[in-house]
Amino acid sequence: MRLDQHAGIDSPVHRWDPRLKLVALMALALSFAFVQDPRLLPAMLGVSFTLCAVSRLPAGFVARRLRYPGFFILMLAAVLPFFSGETVLLQLGPLGLREEGSLEMVMIAGRFISIITVAVVLFGTAPVFTNIKALRALGLPPLLGDMALFSYRYIEEIGTDLRRMQRAARLRGFRAARPGYRNLKTLASLVGSLLVRSYEKSHRVYHAMLLRGYGGPERVRHPFRAGFADAAALVGVLGVAAAFVVAEAI
Amino acid sequence: MHLPDGIVPATVCAAGFATAGLATWYSLRRIGRQEDPQAQVPKASLFTAVFFVASLVHVPVPPVSVHLILNGLLGVVLGWYAFPAILVGLFFQAVMFGHGGLTTLGVNATMLGVPALLAALLFRSRGLPGLEARGGRKLTGLLAFLGGSLGVGLTALILAVLLFTTVPASLDATAERAAIAALVLAHVPLALVEGVFTALVVLFLLRVDPGLLENHRGPPGREPGEPRELAKTG
Repeated sequence: MRLDQHAGIDSPVHRWDPRLKLVALMALALSFAFVQDPRLLPAMLGVSFTLCAVSRLPAGFVARRLRYPGFFILMLAAVLPFFSGETVLLQLGPLGLREEGSLEMVMIAGRFISIITVAVVLFGTAPVFTNIKALRALGLPPLLGDMALFSYRYIEEIGTDLRRMQRAARLRGFRAARPGYRNLKTLASLVGSLLVRSYEKSHRVYHAMLLRGYGGPERVRHPFRAGFADAAALVGVLGVAAAFVVAEAI
Repeated sequence: MHLPDGIVPATVCAAGFATAGLATWYSLRRIGRQEDPQAQVPKASLFTAVFFVASLVHVPVPPVSVHLILNGLLGVVLGWYAFPAILVGLFFQAVMFGHGGLTTLGVNATMLGVPALLAALLFRSRGLPGLEARGGRKLTGLLAFLGGSLGVGLTALILAVLLFTTVPASLDATAERAAIAALVLAHVPLALVEGVFTALVVLFLLRVDPGLLENHRGPPGREPGEPRELAKTG
């Protein structure tokens, strides 16, 4: 389930200059975090779903992204409506369903769904490398850019290493579900070996990079060109973001 | 132990970005003072990937099974690179798995990264003149244990305070304090496990490849870039 598996689709959002898209959609996501008033909730959900529709990302893909973090929200859902607030809406035995808590719950869920949808559109409509390049073009320090590119490149590979080592441990009778010091020690050695292996790998990678000219003064080169439509979209989305903040403040 | 999007108010998100920005700036400044800052980039990045992957490993702590956080260990092995590493790792966790969030990236980075830097400083004290001679393995293990459990304990404390003082606006003060205490207490076993785990990993590294631990405080071990045994690569 790759993040940028649908980066190849053609849509206005996909064609948008990644630099401007990053600025605009980050501002939009942050403006959603401001929203406290329940009356703004439909507008917020409307904006994020419209954006999602315009980006032509498959609905199932976006929904799958919402599922995992949804657990945390569910946990809050089980607690907040019963313990926060004074106005009891419904008495369920010893527990009262409270109005303030329920409302807070709905707002948290609404903000959560809207922000995640915007984030999925932002990072699902361009390859990860393009987005990191765009961040660099926007002034991300070179060290952070390099680290992001590198880590992304090696996450998959190290994940495979770890799975292979875990399989080998299981074949030798290691059972991960049994608690105890011995098990913890085995897991620690596993992580330790992974660190030692990647440490050695990092030396080889570094030398290979030096040979290819890494380490000189860095210039940001990118293929991004922003036209009138890109700028108009930026202004439009920033306007919507500002509208949410202003509407909330009034 | 990440805050997802939509829970904390925008002011907390903004404050989180501010503190994370400050910590990143200071870390980068300290890194910039090192002899060859870029030489450590591949190591820091690969370790970021290792931590990303290792935090998916389950450890049974009866009655549940937990994910390790490993921010203390990250501080111990990466020193000043720990904060940028956590920032990058959290960014990918947020955009790839929806673990954490984009608007809460700054808050989460502060919550995990500042304790990691404290763990790094704590672990560094093993290099102090008086301690080095007497300490050896026991001291190294102890400092790693403290670093690991401090990392998680402090993170849990920050999380609890943030969660209960900002989220339910109508929760009363006594309930708030009780909730914070409960959440922190629930993390005590986790902090102990994490401390033991960190100590075990560090002692393993001390046995197998001590140079890896020395690296962030100058090059008294082997030269960075010189593989331990060329024959063993691959």
